[in-house]
Amino acid sequence: MKNMVVVGVLLLSLMPHANGAGFSPPGKPTLTSCRSPEKETFTCWWEPGSDGGLPTTYRLFYLKENIETVYECPDYLTAGENSCFFSKNNTSIWVNYNITVVATNELGSTMSDPVDIDVMYIVMPHPPEKVLVSVLEDKDWPFLRVSWEPPQKADTRSGWITLVYEVRIKLEEKDDWEVHLAGQQRVFNIFSLLSGGTYIVQVRCKPDHGFWSEWSSSTYVKVPNYFHRENSVWILITTFTAFIFLIVSWMIHMNRHSLKHCILPPVPGPKIKGFDKQLLKSGKSGDVFNALVASDFPPTTPPRCEDLLVEYLEVYIPEERELMREESKHLQDGFLKSEGFASDSDSGLGSCNSHTLLMDNSGEAKETDRRTDQERSRPGAEALTYAREDVSPDMSSGRVKTWPSVFSPLTPYSSGPTDQPGAKQHCLSDSVYPPGSTSPCSAQDLGLNYWEFCFSSMQPHLTQTRSDVNVSDIGPERAAARQQSPAPRPTEYVEVQRVSEEDMVLLQPVGPGPGPPARPGEDYSRVKGVRGHNVLLLQTEEEADGRACEELETKGAAHKPTACSHGGLPAPGRAAPAASGYVDTAMFVLPSC
Amino acid sequence: MPGNVGSASAGWGLLVCLVFCTRLASVRAAPICSSAHAGCHVLSLANLFDRVIQHSARMHGISNDLHSEFEQYFLPSKNQIGRVSRNCHTSTILTPNGKENAQRMARDELMQVILKLLVAWRDPLWHFHQSMSHQHDFNNFSSNKALEMSDMVHELRTGVEKVAEKMQMLGIMSNSVSGLTSPEILLPSDSSEWRLMKDYDLLYCFRRDSNKVQNYLKILKCRIVPDHGC
Repeated sequence: MKNMVVVGVLLLSLMPHANGAGFSPPGKPTLTSCRSPEKETFTCWWEPGSDGGLPTTYRLFYLKENIETVYECPDYLTAGENSCFFSKNNTSIWVNYNITVVATNELGSTMSDPVDIDVMYIVMPHPPEKVLVSVLEDKDWPFLRVSWEPPQKADTRSGWITLVYEVRIKLEEKDDWEVHLAGQQRVFNIFSLLSGGTYIVQVRCKPDHGFWSEWSSSTYVKVPNYFHRENSVWILITTFTAFIFLIVSWMIHMNRHSLKHCILPPVPGPKIKGFDKQLLKSGKSGDVFNALVASDFPPTTPPRCEDLLVEYLEVYIPEERELMREESKHLQDGFLKSEGFASDSDSGLGSCNSHTLLMDNSGEAKETDRRTDQERSRPGAEALTYAREDVSPDMSSGRVKTWPSVFSPLTPYSSGPTDQPGAKQHCLSDSVYPPGSTSPCSAQDLGLNYWEFCFSSMQPHLTQTRSDVNVSDIGPERAAARQQSPAPRPTEYVEVQRVSEEDMVLLQPVGPGPGPPARPGEDYSRVKGVRGHNVLLLQTEEEADGRACEELETKGAAHKPTACSHGGLPAPGRAAPAASGYVDTAMFVLPSC
Repeated sequence: MPGNVGSASAGWGLLVCLVFCTRLASVRAAPICSSAHAGCHVLSLANLFDRVIQHSARMHGISNDLHSEFEQYFLPSKNQIGRVSRNCHTSTILTPNGKENAQRMARDELMQVILKLLVAWRDPLWHFHQSMSHQHDFNNFSSNKALEMSDMVHELRTGVEKVAEKMQMLGIMSNSVSGLTSPEILLPSDSSEWRLMKDYDLLYCFRRDSNKVQNYLKILKCRIVPDHGC
């Protein structure tokens, strides 16, 4: 009795344990995938659920489209565990399969979710086979040729299945694959390889509607060293060239200023007072020269020292007479230069030519004036005229500027001899300022200088005029000189003896021999102004005080009364002023050689 | 000035005319000639097959896209009962469902099957396009695809007929394929079945049938002209 109760209790205790000890109907299996390698057969795999602790069997059932019959999987073994293999006979393309897996154990069975498949769209071929990689050369540059075969089972020959391929390559030590789509061809070339590198190549394939296959097994290939010998030589050459280039460019950079001067020397601008570069650029030469004439001849404003001391007075020896027959337009420049006979610069040539021209053209005009003036002024013209001069600050060079219109050329000079090779020509400077106006240049600016005239034996008038110009020879001496028939004298020079405070220059003749003569007197008169082209207004000592100032004329210029307040002329009044205060400019004919 | 404008516009018009005329002429310049007389650009059979196959591939691609769109936006329940009993209106046409079956079939038969399929889909696709353009559920892109699809069916049929002609001319195929003149005879009498199909089912069926056509053409090509890309 007790044993039976114990057994019964045991049984009772066991029975619920048997029920709750994990024994249950199987869990729901799941169809994981179905694949067809060649579109002729296919395989389905499933994942079993829990088995409920009991041995569970799995069965696969399927329905074909529009057919009521339920079929069971024909082959559970070929494809391994938990799989079902459909052979060719059991496979229909373009037919919808409805597949279900049923798990069964002692306690029950469970159905999986059905899956619809069409074999057409579940094709996943095997990887391509016989992948061969060879190294070929294309004009000394190697490349890889990859070739393969389609998987054996996929029937591409009959056109049943069409495959497209893909190739990938990477260096052995790297991680990045380089993928190339090869289309339907079975050969592929890869270029741009690293010299001496080891590559891994793989191929895979896919039907036109389906899944990519697995990558084929790796194929290793080594690229030979092709870059070696060319590379090093070129690298050396390139480095060397770059180095030299750097050095050269640095040297050029250091010397860029001197190079610039050498290659592109600065262009000397036209240093002509009143010359407007802009007008010249505009191309109208007439305007340029008109501007020159209108603006500064005679200068209406007192020129500053800097203006006056722009250019040098140079005297040069002309080689041919033709130099004197320059264009008439130079006349309007009013520029005359005298060259220092020691200098040989060329810049004075042009102006010397213009100077001669000036003298040429004005010669005829002045001649009659000169004659008449001579008669007029002969009786008592004691006034001396001297030109105000502008002296360049460079005293050492011995240059003096003179006013060109002071001097008029002699008639014989204009028609003059054609051969005076050795004679010097005196050129006057171009600085012009209204006579009578106080030059801002103080006496200190004017230095002692000597002024040379050339005397030609063939020009008797020259000597006459020269003597006229002589400051020292005043009064009767001059008159006598005038009345004399000019005898040809050898080359005579007039020397500027000294410069007074009020911008007056004392001239004295220099004899043929060396050395200046005795110090001349101090009779002089100041040039007050210019009238016309050939009339020089001089200011006498008496007039310096004021009266003659009313007669002061400048060509188109404003009246400058301040000029008349100048006083203190040291002239002892020896010379009686001319009645009109005029001095014939003909007396100041500039000799030309 | 008006004279200049007028002459300029006349010149432009002439230029435009010339361009278009040459374009039209070039389109007509290369007809496929049935008889090889001089000046006619004759295509080889392989070439014809390649063109036709390309055309069918494109047609299938479009149908695939449209079907995916349908599935995305109007996903029918996959667990529908009766889904298995979907019935394409072309199911009456006997088509080989496997490689062996297709290879065992004679060329004439296979060509016939292809033509039947193409003929059977001409009207349904046209109506499908009409219904799609009236519905605003679809964007213009899908509507254009439907139109293109229906045009392509028609063009493909013309192309396949040309191939059949060529094959008959070359003696590869017998002249028994006489259904070309009146393909409507091939259709089942109850041809209005397709009107009952829903849009999604129609697309599903057409996707499959276009794939069949493409595959059959490839098989024919590799059987008849095997050297080119088979």
